[in-house]
Amino acid sequence: MNDEELVQRAADERAAIVAKYRHGRRDGAVIDSWEDPSFEIYHVLDRYGFIHDKNNKHFSNERISETLDPNVVKVEMLRVKKWVKMLRHWDSVVGSEKLKRRVFKGIPNSLRGQVWSKVLDLSTIREQQHGKYQEMRDLAWRWSPDIRQIDLDVNRTYRDHIMFRERYNLKQQELFNVLGAYSMYNLEIGYCQGMSQIAALLLMYLDEEDAFWALSVLVSDRKYNMHGFFIPGFPKLLRYQEHHDKIMQKFLPKLKKHLDKNGVDTGIYTLKWFFQCFLDRIPFRLTLRVWDVYLLMGERILTAMAYNLLKLHRRKLLSLGMDEILQFLQVHLEKKFEVDDDVAMESLSHCLDDLKKNKLDYPGPPPPNELPRRPFGLFKEPSFEHKVGRRSSEFSAVERSARESVVLRRDAASAAALAESPVQEGHPNGHARHSHGDNTTLPGKYILYSSRL
Amino acid sequence: MANRGGPGGRPNGTAQQQQGGGGGGRICQFKLVLLGESAVGKSSLVLRFVKGQFHEYQESTIGAAFLTQTLCLEDTTVKFEIWDTAGQERYHSLAPMYYRGAQAAIVVYDVTNQDTFGRAKTWVKELQRHASPNIVIALAGNKADLSNKRNVELDEAKAYAEENGLLFMETSAKTAVNVNEIFQEIGESIVGLFVLVVGIQICRSEQSRLNYVSKIVYSLWYRK
Repeated sequence: MNDEELVQRAADERAAIVAKYRHGRRDGAVIDSWEDPSFEIYHVLDRYGFIHDKNNKHFSNERISETLDPNVVKVEMLRVKKWVKMLRHWDSVVGSEKLKRRVFKGIPNSLRGQVWSKVLDLSTIREQQHGKYQEMRDLAWRWSPDIRQIDLDVNRTYRDHIMFRERYNLKQQELFNVLGAYSMYNLEIGYCQGMSQIAALLLMYLDEEDAFWALSVLVSDRKYNMHGFFIPGFPKLLRYQEHHDKIMQKFLPKLKKHLDKNGVDTGIYTLKWFFQCFLDRIPFRLTLRVWDVYLLMGERILTAMAYNLLKLHRRKLLSLGMDEILQFLQVHLEKKFEVDDDVAMESLSHCLDDLKKNKLDYPGPPPPNELPRRPFGLFKEPSFEHKVGRRSSEFSAVERSARESVVLRRDAASAAALAESPVQEGHPNGHARHSHGDNTTLPGKYILYSSRL
Repeated sequence: MANRGGPGGRPNGTAQQQQGGGGGGRICQFKLVLLGESAVGKSSLVLRFVKGQFHEYQESTIGAAFLTQTLCLEDTTVKFEIWDTAGQERYHSLAPMYYRGAQAAIVVYDVTNQDTFGRAKTWVKELQRHASPNIVIALAGNKADLSNKRNVELDEAKAYAEENGLLFMETSAKTAVNVNEIFQEIGESIVGLFVLVVGIQICRSEQSRLNYVSKIVYSLWYRK
């Protein structure tokens, strides 16, 4: 295919995808059978809209029992009254200790959307940027080179949530539009995997345009600065990981040593915590509480919650080996956090204070390489490579340095593991060890470990 | 860490694989990484291999995920430490974190999408240049159940794999075709390699070393 044909092919592909979303589920929709769930009997729908079925990832007895627990609902009903009052006098509570205290206790789920929207001051932005969202969305439909990836990801974002369950339904359309529009609005990020779950979470509580502006605030507002997480090379991720190491060194040195010894370096387990503020790594209802305080207080919460999480589970973690540590952090904690939500939130607040006292609560303002360099919302026609989705064979300078840093960290972690663990324990860097004295034939039982890390 | 090599399957291992876990002589542990374009089915292959499940809407992997599974090969129990990675190009710069020190890689493409095959070739090149020199690389043409929508010919992929010394299979995480098989083949080829190398290392006398090597060569010869 020549260049022109390639561009045409990409344009046709994009147009076909866009047409499907714009058509939605109305008559005449063409939906591949595998893309749509067939008739199902939902086992349980929890109060947040997740479908609980033994086959799906979110299945948890704990969450179902919460759905049925009348106490949770009762307490929340009492809180709703207070919050309604507070929302009426929002200007007088902004920045107050009272607001902070109440947010730590949890925003009532029925008011969460309203409160988030207040905290992020969405109505002001929406007014100031009147029409901008629609403009960006329309541009995305015509131009966004990220449409293909966005489509792939919308098709697999929270499909076990009732709102995103059916292919091309209203919320899937909105998710597609928000991500597309954002990819045109912020050309330095475009679309980065990880953003779809964030946008979906926002869409569970906000309408389409609000969700777009909320995403925009999270990315570019000084309080959150997610820009540096999602741009190529992920400079902010690396900086946060270094800061996390410092905190571990100071507050949890024994655990750090244990993790190092097992080759579990920070780069491996913190990525999703930082990129998505703990989405899918802790139970959803606790995620919401963390998000409540994250939106109120900003990026300090990422640092503090990472510390909090490890602190709360340090004893357990100390008893585990590499596989189990990763299994525990990746999978187990989401299903069963082991610690009560209120206790976890209180502990988060203490962690924040501890870090503050030691001047470790804030990794510092973003250096220039983490900040947006181009104005938002200005249309620029994508380059040929971008249009046809051709990958550059070379890394950019930023990516190269990220890559080098990753390699260095990895090697340092391996070296640490090697230094830490005595030979008889056996570790990934060791050579084969054998437990029996028979050297003439292969011993009955030994472990082959790989060399070269 | 000493317990990680213990016999027996993982709690989530399939029964069939657990059975053999306790028996037999050696236990080998290998690091394996999955690479390939977004949405070709990397996570699905792992899910099928590790839990015997398939999810139509397998979530996109952010960063990477870690899983383990044990397989039994004759008298060797192989434990795979599997790193499943994110497919989007932007995450490419993190890939060395996962493939460094890996003894095996599965590079996955989607048989219905030619672009993903091109991408797989790029991954193979990168591994040949930057991964461990004797890494075992397998190429998996996934979504083989959709062969009516095929865009990458079997022969084309086969020829490419042969040319580059890769193991190759067309797989389907959905129908489970060739999923265990590809892991098994990888296991066998690494075990073959490592038993030889390590065996030589631990034989003290010249004579036992010689005996050992001839034994291995003999058994390899007859397996073929």
